[in-house]
This record gives sequence, structure tokens and C-alpha cells, in this order.
Amino acid sequence: MKRVFICCSGAVLGLLITSSAFSKPSQVDKLLAADNAKHKRGPTIAAKPINDLAFLRRTTLNLIGRIPTHEEITQFQKWPVSSRRTKLVDKLLEDPRYADRWTVFFSDLLRIRSSATGGNSLLAYTHKAIKSNRPWDELAREIVSANGTTGKVPAVGFILGEDADPMALAAATGQMLLGVRIQCAQCHNHPFDVWKQKQFYQLATYFGKTRRVENQFSRRVYTTEAKDTNILWPPERRKPKTRSAVLPKFPIELDEYVTKPDFVKRLEAKREALRVASTSGAAGKKLDDLLEDVDTSKAFTKAGFSRDVVNDAKSQTRALDVEGDLYKQSVDRTQLAKLITSPYNRYFSRNMVNRLWAELVGRGFYEPVDDFQDIVSHRETLDYLCEEFVANGYDIKWLIKNIVQTDAYARGHLSGDVSAEDQQKAVEAFTATRQKRMVSEALYDSIVIAGHLTDYKWPAGANIRTYTERVRIAIAPDLPEEGVSTPTKPIPETTPPNMQPGMMAMKARGGYDLENQISLNFDELLKSELKKDLQSMKQMSDAELEKKQRMQEMAAQNQNNPRMRYKYETVERKTDDNPRFGSTMRMATPAPPAHFLRVFGQPARDGLGQFRDEMPSMRQQLMMLNGKATHEASRVGPMEPMFKYLGGGKQNIADAIRLAYLEIFTRLPDGDEMIFAKQIVGTGKPALDGMADLRWALLNSNEFRYLP
Amino acid sequence: MNKGCLDYQMTRRRMLGISSATLLGMPIAQMLARAGETKKAKCEHVILFWNGGGMSHIDTWDPKPGRPVAGEFDPIKTSADGIQISSIFPTVAKQMHHAALIRSIAGTNGAHGRASYQLQTSYNQSGNLIHPGIGSIVVHEKERMGDLPSFITISGNARRAGYLGQRCEAYYVGRPGEKDPYLAFPAGINNVRGNKRLDILKQINLRKQAKLGAKELKAVDTATREAVNLMRSPALKSFELEKENPKTLARYGDTDFGRGALLARKLVETGVRFVQINRGGFDTHNNNFPAMENHGLAMDPALASLIEDLAAIGKLESTMVIMLSEFGRTPRINNNAGRDHHARCFSCFMAGGGINGGQVIGKSDEDAMVPAERPVNPQDLHATICHAMGIDHNKEVETPLGRPMRLISEGAKPVMELFG
Repeated sequence: MKRVFICCSGAVLGLLITSSAFSKPSQVDKLLAADNAKHKRGPTIAAKPINDLAFLRRTTLNLIGRIPTHEEITQFQKWPVSSRRTKLVDKLLEDPRYADRWTVFFSDLLRIRSSATGGNSLLAYTHKAIKSNRPWDELAREIVSANGTTGKVPAVGFILGEDADPMALAAATGQMLLGVRIQCAQCHNHPFDVWKQKQFYQLATYFGKTRRVENQFSRRVYTTEAKDTNILWPPERRKPKTRSAVLPKFPIELDEYVTKPDFVKRLEAKREALRVASTSGAAGKKLDDLLEDVDTSKAFTKAGFSRDVVNDAKSQTRALDVEGDLYKQSVDRTQLAKLITSPYNRYFSRNMVNRLWAELVGRGFYEPVDDFQDIVSHRETLDYLCEEFVANGYDIKWLIKNIVQTDAYARGHLSGDVSAEDQQKAVEAFTATRQKRMVSEALYDSIVIAGHLTDYKWPAGANIRTYTERVRIAIAPDLPEEGVSTPTKPIPETTPPNMQPGMMAMKARGGYDLENQISLNFDELLKSELKKDLQSMKQMSDAELEKKQRMQEMAAQNQNNPRMRYKYETVERKTDDNPRFGSTMRMATPAPPAHFLRVFGQPARDGLGQFRDEMPSMRQQLMMLNGKATHEASRVGPMEPMFKYLGGGKQNIADAIRLAYLEIFTRLPDGDEMIFAKQIVGTGKPALDGMADLRWALLNSNEFRYLP
Repeated sequence: MNKGCLDYQMTRRRMLGISSATLLGMPIAQMLARAGETKKAKCEHVILFWNGGGMSHIDTWDPKPGRPVAGEFDPIKTSADGIQISSIFPTVAKQMHHAALIRSIAGTNGAHGRASYQLQTSYNQSGNLIHPGIGSIVVHEKERMGDLPSFITISGNARRAGYLGQRCEAYYVGRPGEKDPYLAFPAGINNVRGNKRLDILKQINLRKQAKLGAKELKAVDTATREAVNLMRSPALKSFELEKENPKTLARYGDTDFGRGALLARKLVETGVRFVQINRGGFDTHNNNFPAMENHGLAMDPALASLIEDLAAIGKLESTMVIMLSEFGRTPRINNNAGRDHHARCFSCFMAGGGINGGQVIGKSDEDAMVPAERPVNPQDLHATICHAMGIDHNKEVETPLGRPMRLISEGAKPVMELFG
């Protein structure tokens, strides 16, 4: 472990470059090395491990979705070298932003859309589940089996988000929860795929009795179960003479063991301990849960009842439950949820392990992460992680923690003189990491944090700016004489209506609106069951949303009097341009098409299998070079720490530059960089402008937006 | 130059997909059809007016005088012999010798969402695939000209590029004539200082380049270069409308729609391939007539001036102007003096791009209820645009998942009569 001591003129800004690691190589790293050796992968070039500050930056970005602040850097440096990485990870996992950042991940995974029916409820529900670190299998069981209204049962947003369409739900279940693209088998037996069309139909039929219902009066949307399945075989396009209902069959064969494997025993012991620990026991359970607890195979069959009789008794009992009758539990989907989340279903645990590994390390054990084809780069390692994930109760935080503590996670990138082929090899062998851009939400929030934009950095009245605005002025209609028409009060010109259905929840008008961040209150969203009328917007059907939108468009066009004439004038207005910026993590999601987040790769989530697009584009550069956020973050305001080095009487340009590098790059400048930066800040007139130029360039640089 | 948007990589499935497609062979009819294409395509640009909500066809392009369905507007004579249009378009009437009407579009979707999808993509909406809009298809197939983005949408969003990828998405202009703040340095940063900043940025990136050097970073450089070229491009003047002669602005009508049409003309002159201008408020379930009269006031001068000007500068031949909506409206006037959704028969307006003006294709029945002659399917319109631009509408592209897809949905046929 090398330690280098470098320039330490200001006591606060001096830093040790250290490279500590976690105490010993983890089991994962041993397995990776063994896998690499076994497959004669190599000799691969290995990148050096990243140093402590790079680890701080990388991990803060990955875990809470923004770069560390100066205070956080200082705190980290004060921790003992031997334990600081562990301490950091533990701290970040408890950070309030942890849930925000991972809601972004799960929103991509589950294609959560605020504009979909129940979308915002599902978003808030997911956020809450991540915050309380609910086990992944529990969460998955809920979203697959939920029935009810979005207000009371927010998990139902998953079913409603796919319009309760059995085919769409089968495809979504395959890709999101199992990591397989079974969707292609919807239309035909694919020649190169393992999935047969019949299997797709058998999976779909678990959702076949589910119906989306809309109350005509209250406009509330909910799901319930019908008697018969919608899924018939053979498929319609084969033009069969007769079609019959498909019986549900899980397309994946569960793993079989002669004796119960250790990881399952550990899971069961863990769950049992939790059950005992929870004192409430059955008190809080719903009728359906109680009925599910009745093990038909043992108790009743012993007593001489046939299983059918017991099931009949169950359904009759359910029929007596008034609310349960309205929002019937789905027997089929409850069964499916159990199969999906069975510890013997490796597809389920592997999907999450591989997705999280890919998100954190930069590459999965197989890719694309939603298309498992039995080609796995490090099978033993992946299997080990899967079994440990299961044994630890499908604990997401446990998994994240164990991934970021591996050496594989903390590898640097290879330098540019290594050939592209060798780079690729090393990245696939996990001996180097790839260049990875911050996700768009993290990029935006990092600009805001680096630029101290969460609070005012200028005193009131310091930035009075005059701007012009076009206003529409109504002219009284049909008056014959010139000059008689009396212009009435100016109205700001109405925004042209957005043409895309479903986009009315958020509109980007253009201009700097494309960098707006309006937070949703997740707690309020979940409380909305008490205020159902608040929900009514989201509970309308698509057709009604359309209708409402059209009516708004009509109103915008006609403004009370349809024969009214208007003229347009440009007026001057004054504003104190002293903006504060919020986080983009809690916005309605996804953002409108031309928004900063979308331009930097947030998927539209209007289809399955959409990943973050990391391609650079001209539009991205325009938004960074000329955007409001980068501009405001660069300017040095009197109410931010930087000001004391440059604004007052005695200037300390070197410390100012060190602070800029720390705040933006999470590191100190090297000697050359210091000389270069002094030139820029020194020639600025005043130096504050020079600093703004430097910060602007740092914020726009590749080093800022790509993870170290 | 930047032909195509194939920014995804060859996968195993794609390879297999391609070879199997070859095995199956190309339909002979298609090969023969292509052999017959000798005339060179004249059309280089498209201006699409997208009228969201479903525009009444009877009150615009297909008047039915003397019938109970006629409504409040009289038909007027136009510069094209024997063609009459609604009185809400007195100025457009003078340009009809440049334009053609299709009065027999036989739509199949009566809901806004599905119909807009089909009329903009040629495909029916399906759960598991996002089809690209016609604008994305055009810019996927045609090389970029000049500094400006190839596909620009004004006053609203265009369809997404779907499987054609990010590079075929439209560049968004919120309000025509309003300065796009992202095309210039921020307020307070003059060009000297802005250029100094760009220079600092370049040096900071260069310092790291040797150490990092990944292909992604080179792509950032390319993107930066493109962005700066655009910021410095004289072509940006096309976005400015305040320096336009006030008489020109007035001629187009001083409305967002008018400014949009004027901007479209200027963009096309600088080489932009596809401009979409969006307008809403056509869902006239109530008070159809005053609403349509208002639409006429905004649209008539804009559309007419656009065609007149394109013709005057010699650009009409290479620019197709097309006005579309997701469906028409019921001939029957409802109790709220409105008209409801009507997909079975509606009209479309086209001019330029090599089509012969002064003609009407197809005919609706006496009440404009159903096509009476020459029904045209919605996807035929997209095939027509492709044909005009010399794009093979049957060409197959691969989705990122490796599924082969035709540019335009199967069975689409260009409306050849338009081209004479």
C-alpha cells in the first residue's frame, strides 16, 4: 500500500493520497481469479486498484447518486485508513439519498412511468420499499400477485402499468424478474431460442384471469380476478378450429437437490428468526394470507378431505369477505409469485445479482442483462453470489455492500495505449473497469452539489435581470372601426399543446424548462388512499386522459370566446435571477422527451428492455456547454465557501483552485494542473470570473461525467 | 456523411437473422418493382403539419355543399380547375394549383392514441415494439445536409425514433422564433470568454485523454465539435425570426403556427430534411364551427405563404408539404354543434416534392362518410413520402433485438397517381 504525501499548504485542503483496500480478498475475488484461471482467460492485463478518493467518488456516485461534498471528503480522510472504506459504505447505505438513487434503478427495471395508471403510486411504493430495504423476493411477490386499487394496493401499479394484459405481463415477468426474453415466443417458436410458444402461453395464463376494472362513477381503477382465463391455445393466428383454455405452467424447472442445500436452510432459518421476532404474528394478516398459510397438502388431506374440497372451502370463505370479493386475490398469480421467488429458482436470484453487479462494476456476468442464454463469464462466482444473496434473505443492501467491497469493483480503467481488444478482455475478466458515465440523474445532481446550488448563493437583488416575454393580448372581436378595439389585460401566450398522449403530466415548454426539477412527495402519494380524488387523474383510463387533454387543448385554442382575436406583443420584465436547484431523483418519471435527464439517456420506458443510453450526442453537449445548471454552478456567489479565497481583500488563488478540484473532481490538482489553473484564475478579470471559467471547464470535462 | 443511425452493434441474433432472410430470398415482385424505378426522386425535404385531435375533413378539404352534413362553411373556388375547398382557406385556395388532395383515406383507428401512432409510423401500436415516426425514417435513410440537425420538431413532440436509435430523434424547438438558449453561450458570457472556456475545456480533456482514451471519450469530442460547429454556424440564423421583414411575418400570420411555417421554410432552405409543425385543438366535439374558423385564421395565411414562397424560391419541387391528422370527424353534427371521431374516411393535403398539383385523388361518398373511389390506406401515405424521396419503403432494418422490420408496414403502396 503506497502512500504519497503531496502539497499541503492549507491545512484544510491538504490531502493524503492513500489506497487502502478491504481487509482481505473477498470470496468473490478468489472465485473470480479461479474462474479466470480455469478458463485460461489471459494473461489479462489488470488495471491498478483505484485510490481512496476515487473509491469515495465512485461509491458515493453509485450508492447515493451524486459526487461527495467537501465536508464528506474531509470526514472520509479523518477516518482510519484501515476501516474508512467499510465505514463509507455503511454510511452511504443509510443515507437518505440511498432510496432516491436506487428508485431510479428499480424504475428502469420495472419501467415505472408516472403517466401510467397507478404509476406514481408504484413509484412511491418502490421508494418506500427500498428505504426500508424490503427483501427483493417479498417485493416481487407483491407486485406479481397484487390486486386492488392503486390507492390501497400501490403494488398493483405493476399489473396496471402493463394494462393487465396477460401477454405483456408474461413478457415483463420474464425480462424484469427472471432475466430472460421469453417475449419473442409470443408470436412464434423462435428457431434460436429455447422458449417455445406454448411455454409463453402457459406463463401468460397465470395472468389470464386478471381484469382491469374501472368504476364508471368514481373513476377508480382496480384489478380483480374473473372466472376464466383469456389465454387460449392454439394461438389465433394459426386459425384453429377450436381453442381451449391454457393451463398455467411455470416455464422454468426449479433446481432439484437430493438434500436441502445449505443456502436454503440458512434462508429458512433467517426467515424463521424474523417470524419469531415479530410479535404481532397473525394479527396484521389479511384473510387471504391466513388462507394461504393453510397447507392443504398436509393437514387436510390427512383428515380425509380431498384437496379440491379444501380449495372450494377456501374460495367460499373468500367469497364472504366483502372487500376481498371486490378485489379478489389472484390464486394463479399468488402461485406464480411463489414459483418465481422460490429459492430453487436460480433465474430469479441470478437476475438481480447480475443486474446489480453490472450496475456497480460496469459489466454483467452475462449481457444483455435481460437475456440469459446460459453463456456466463464466471459461473462459480455468479452461483456463489446468488446462493449468498438467497441465504441472506434476498437483502438488496447486503448484495450492494458485498459487491462494492470486492477488488473487482475497485479496479481502475486501463490506459489508452492498451489495445481495444485487450481492454475488452480485461473488462470481461473483471481485472479492469470500463468507462462508465454517471446516470443522468446523478450527473445533474452532481452539478448542483458541486456548484452549491441547493441554496441561494447570492444575496437578494444581486442578479436583477431584464428579460422579454411574448404576451397575447385579446382584441375585442368584430368591431368595424380601427382604434375602437380595446386591448385587455395581457395574458402570457399559451404553450402549444403537447401532441403525445400520456405526456400531460409533465410538459417541457422549451428554453431552460428543459432543466427543471419538480419533486414529487412520495409520502403524500402513498397517503392518497385517504384522498382518492387526488388520485382521480391517474385513475382515468387512457382514453379519458386523451379526452381531457383534447378538452384542455380546445380551451387553450378558444379561451372563452371562440371568436376572440388576439395580437402578440413583446414586453420587458425584471427578475432576480438567483436560482436554487433541487434533486432530479424525485421527479415524475420519466422526464419529458427533450429534458436534460432524457437527453442523457434516461429511457422512455414505453417498451421492455430499454437500457440507459450512454452514447454521447450533440444535444448533450449543447445542454452542458450552455445550460443553466452548469452556468450557475460555475459562477462564484458570495455565499459559498469559494468566495472567501477570491472575493475579499486577501486572495489565496492556490487554495481556491484546490477547493475547486476537490469540489468538482474529488481530488487535488497535480503540479501541472495547478500551474495551468493559476494562469486561468489569475488572468480572470476579476479572479472570480477566472474561477468561473475554470469551474465551467471542470464541470464540462470528461473526468467529471465519467466515473473514476 | 452521417448516413443512417445504426448505432447498435452486430449481435449473434442479427447475424443469424440476416442470413436467414437471405435464405428466404427477396420477393421477386419487389425486385421487379425496383427495377422499374428509373425516374430520379426529386424530393429532398418534408414539412409535415401534424394537426392533433382529428381535423374535420368536411370543414377543410372535402366540403359537401347542399347536404345536411355541410355545416357552416361554404365551398370556394380555387386556382385549380374544378377543385373546391372550405371557405376557411381563402388564401390557400389561390395555391391549389400547386397542391393535391387525397379525399379517400380509409383509417381504421378511432382512438386518438392508436390513430396518431398509425398515421405517424404506418404501424399499428403493439405492446412490445416502438416503431419510428416517418421523420425518423426519413433522416435514417437520407444523408444530413448542412450544419443543422436533420429532423426538427416545432411546438410539440414528434414520434420517437424507436428502434432506429437516439440519433434519429427529432431536435426539439419549443416555440418558433423564441431563442433556444442552448445554441449560444449563457447570458453574460460573450463570445471571447466563451471561446476561451472552450479552449480551457479542450486542454483539460486532452490532459486526461492519453490516460483514458476510450472510444466513448472520442465520441464526446465529436459531439462537442458538432455542438460548437452548430453554435458557430451561420445556418443558426434560420432560427431567428425577429430580423424577418415584418411584412413577411404578417403574411404568414403573426401566430405560433405562422411563425412555425416560416421557420420551417427557412430550415428547409438551410438543408434540414424533415420539419414537423404541431398544432392541437382539432378535437371539436363541441362548437366545431367557431373552432374551425379560428383554425382557418391561423392556418390559411401560413400554409398559403409557405407554398407560395417555396415555389418562388424554387424549393417546392424538392420539398413535400403535407398536412395530416389522425382521423377526420363525423359528417353528422352532434347536439353540441360538434363533430365526433371519424376514421373511415378523411382527407389530406399535399404539395410539392415532385407531385403534380391541382389534382384530387380518390373521392368520398356524398356525405364524406366512406371512400367512394380509390381508398387509400394510412400507410400508403408514408410509402408515398418514401417514394418521393427515393427511399425503398420495403427496405428492412433490424431492431436492436435483431428483429427485421420494414421501414413502412407491409402492404403499403405509394399513391403513384400523385406523381403523374
